[in-house]
Amino acid sequence: MPVEIPVEQWPGRVIEETLGATPAEGGTRSRVVKVGGENTLPFMLTDGEMPNPPRIAIEILDQRPKDWSPLLLEAWGDVVDDPAKWAKAAEEAGADLVLLQLSLTRDGGKPTTAADAKALTRAVLQATGLPILVFGPGQVDADNELLVAVAEEAAGERIVLGICEEKNYRTIVAAALANGHLVNGRTAMDVNLAKQLNILIADMGLPLDRIIMDPTTASLGYGIEYGYSVMERLRLAALQGDKMTQLPMLVTPGFEAWRQKEAKVGEGVPASWGDWRQRAVLWETLTATNLILSGADIVVLRHPETVKRVRAFIDRMMAK
Amino acid sequence: MVTVVFRPEEKRVEVPPGTLLSDAARLAGVDILMPCGGQGRCGRCAVVVESGSVRRRSTQRLTPDDIAAGYALACQTLVESDVVVFVPPQERIERRIKETKRAAKIELPFPYDRHDQPLRKFAVTLEPPSLADQTDDWSRLQREMARRYGIRNLQASLPVLRKLPRALREGDWTVTAVVELDAWDRPEGPPRLIDVLPGEHLESLWAVAIDIGTTSNVVWLVDLMRGQVIAQAADYNGQIARGEDVISRIIYASKGNGLQELQELVMGTLNRLIAQVAAEQNIRPDEIYKATVAGNTTMIHLFAGIPPESIRLMPFIPVVNQVPTFPAREIGLGINPEGTVDCLPGIASYVGADITAGVLSSGLCDSDELTLFIDVGTNGEMVLGDCSWLISCACSAGPAFEGAGVVHGMRATAGAIEEVWINPETYEATYKVIGDERPRGICGSGLISLLAEMFITGVVDKSGNINLDLPTKRVRRGEHGPEYVVAWADETATGRDIVITAVDIDNLMRAKAAIYAGFSVLARSVGLTLQDVQRVLIGGAFGQYINVEKAIQIGMLPDMPYDRFHFLGNTSVRGAYYALVSREMRRRVTEVGRMMTYLELSADNTFFDEFNAALFLPHTDLSQFPSVAALVGEG
Repeated sequence: MPVEIPVEQWPGRVIEETLGATPAEGGTRSRVVKVGGENTLPFMLTDGEMPNPPRIAIEILDQRPKDWSPLLLEAWGDVVDDPAKWAKAAEEAGADLVLLQLSLTRDGGKPTTAADAKALTRAVLQATGLPILVFGPGQVDADNELLVAVAEEAAGERIVLGICEEKNYRTIVAAALANGHLVNGRTAMDVNLAKQLNILIADMGLPLDRIIMDPTTASLGYGIEYGYSVMERLRLAALQGDKMTQLPMLVTPGFEAWRQKEAKVGEGVPASWGDWRQRAVLWETLTATNLILSGADIVVLRHPETVKRVRAFIDRMMAK
Repeated sequence: MVTVVFRPEEKRVEVPPGTLLSDAARLAGVDILMPCGGQGRCGRCAVVVESGSVRRRSTQRLTPDDIAAGYALACQTLVESDVVVFVPPQERIERRIKETKRAAKIELPFPYDRHDQPLRKFAVTLEPPSLADQTDDWSRLQREMARRYGIRNLQASLPVLRKLPRALREGDWTVTAVVELDAWDRPEGPPRLIDVLPGEHLESLWAVAIDIGTTSNVVWLVDLMRGQVIAQAADYNGQIARGEDVISRIIYASKGNGLQELQELVMGTLNRLIAQVAAEQNIRPDEIYKATVAGNTTMIHLFAGIPPESIRLMPFIPVVNQVPTFPAREIGLGINPEGTVDCLPGIASYVGADITAGVLSSGLCDSDELTLFIDVGTNGEMVLGDCSWLISCACSAGPAFEGAGVVHGMRATAGAIEEVWINPETYEATYKVIGDERPRGICGSGLISLLAEMFITGVVDKSGNINLDLPTKRVRRGEHGPEYVVAWADETATGRDIVITAVDIDNLMRAKAAIYAGFSVLARSVGLTLQDVQRVLIGGAFGQYINVEKAIQIGMLPDMPYDRFHFLGNTSVRGAYYALVSREMRRRVTEVGRMMTYLELSADNTFFDEFNAALFLPHTDLSQFPSVAALVGEG
């Protein structure tokens, strides 16, 4: 008996956004990366289309990480001392995008200056041909000062500036507007809050196709269900036609997974947890793949082995 | 060119057709106030077009009656021919705005029949006792009451009996008996003798209706001979010094002899008010023979001296929803000690007798129109329904709209800024102060108006964040973070700037979001939307002063035509009054209590979602506020 597979047609579609600009477009990237554009739930390719697969960004820091797991430091080796080399290594490891995370202070505890931020951005842009994202240290005054400098330095490159929050978005959005960039807005695991920040940013005149939303998530075992559910609801709203939710979603499973002891440490945990190396990479991989299944368009990862596995997962899911 | 004549000054000016009346006025040297900067939002530039043809670009702020009477907003009206315009004095405009945007009282909606209430006075003359008739005084009175008035089985307490011999003999065996035929919890009687007075005193029969609010207490003195409210008095609840909201009062009551102290404090306030209304009528408080009391559940518990702790704790159960009838002497209420105290029935810990009283007096339960009733106060109780069903909830809005939790907040008394306009070009503020004094602070209606203006003019974004980049000194970083200066120090009574801070705005946002979320959840719980609501009845003393337009702009009230909103003032005391003067009303309020479903929001998982959605200006879902969307150009 022939079985008819029911097809779910959605009236809405996620906005397709372009990260990076090639020389022809006023930038220096070797290629652009498109995200979003789907009109179906993740990988439901019988229902609709997913013109762009979920993208992988690799997070690099502006200096040797102080509190990262030794497994991560071991995996990257000496490049962590030089953001330019790290960016290049990230590209080689299979990233679609490179995310440069700025710190509050430089070596010796001096505050990171606007000049530092510019130099770092320039160095990373020169080291990789991938589109980049640059996130501030997460402290209002520092973010505003550094990201304005970054935006100016990278004018025309269509980078993603982050992180906009409800209490601090104006300066960052203005810098993105003035220099042709995108912004990433983060809200605390709530559908309405996510939508509100999108509206606030759009109200400043930034087109929706230059806004990415980060609904915040959690690691496997630490509330991922909650984050998953919020992302799923956001995506369902977008597909049902709610304009202010039709933005690609970026989440940070690397950060979330690697701050939990299951991934971070190998000592003082029950023997039944098994091999640390395997467990750590699995923790990050499963966190990331779950979030991709809930609608993530960009996952920010840390371990090169995770990148391989998540890439394999995406490829398998996208295969017709 | 056309000619515009401005009366009464008879100034004239020639302008091209299509000129705004406000521009013509400026050219003619006629001063018309435009606090909103000519946006057609404040209505203060209303003029009367006496002759000629004009085109009104916007009639916001004008009712159909206004337009019929020739009113037009100078800043929104274009001249099309020679016209004659009358510029009314400013205070007339204000009064007009007040009358159209704020509502009137409701009269007693049924004819008064003094036999439909249980308190009576009977003049009775007894056969004096003799050696031949040695019946005792009390039996003699009972016998005569039965014989003369058919009142059988009359009861009396010991204190009344103690008065009896003297009254009988001073009155030469003619006395006036004050009798209560029945009471709330004994509708079949027996009749009870409350007082006995020497001689005949049938002119008046006094009782009081009382509302015990968390913030204010109200006493209405009622003459039961005529059924009318003869005197009113109101004052702040003496318990305020022990906590602004019910929760802090409950906590206070649970410590040491806090309960007793709180009861004494409220009794102090009520007794002062009773003494005040009594003095106005030259009567003694002990000539008042009955009190009917409404109030929220916590206030009723404290009034009756009942420990309220359980109201605050899961699963939020009151000790009693309707307190049994008791004599005033048991709690020290300053009416006649034998006078009956009737408390109206409550529904739950956070929907009390004030709400059943409100439902009764607002007429919600008499109509088949889908009606939303809201008591805007600290607790934000609301009821949705019609004559056949009622559902209620309470969303803790907090005291922000009563002026608490806001740096320069104050109650709506003299010196309070009650309305604000912000110029969209210069961000300068103009305001109106109660009593036309120098301002001392901002009251609830002023805060709503201020938040709406800040939103419409872009002083704050839709999240309520103050935009510090605006080119005005009025936005600045203060000691509590970003703030907006409403009045400069040299304009104020305090000699200090009056500001609204980011923290204040957060509090207001949370309060308005809680109220709107309550509406949404109530409607959704019965499968309706707010658009289905045909009437919105707003009670609560503060409710009287809300400007609907502004309250809609901030997303506190649902976006619907203004004529669906009705302001009822203090519906709680009015409900107590109805129940006092009519057994039928007493029965109906009991029925309201029985038929109302209570929705506990803390057990409802949609409330938090709705709250977050409402925590935005006007709302995350702008499609629920089409008039506001049009105003901010996103319609």
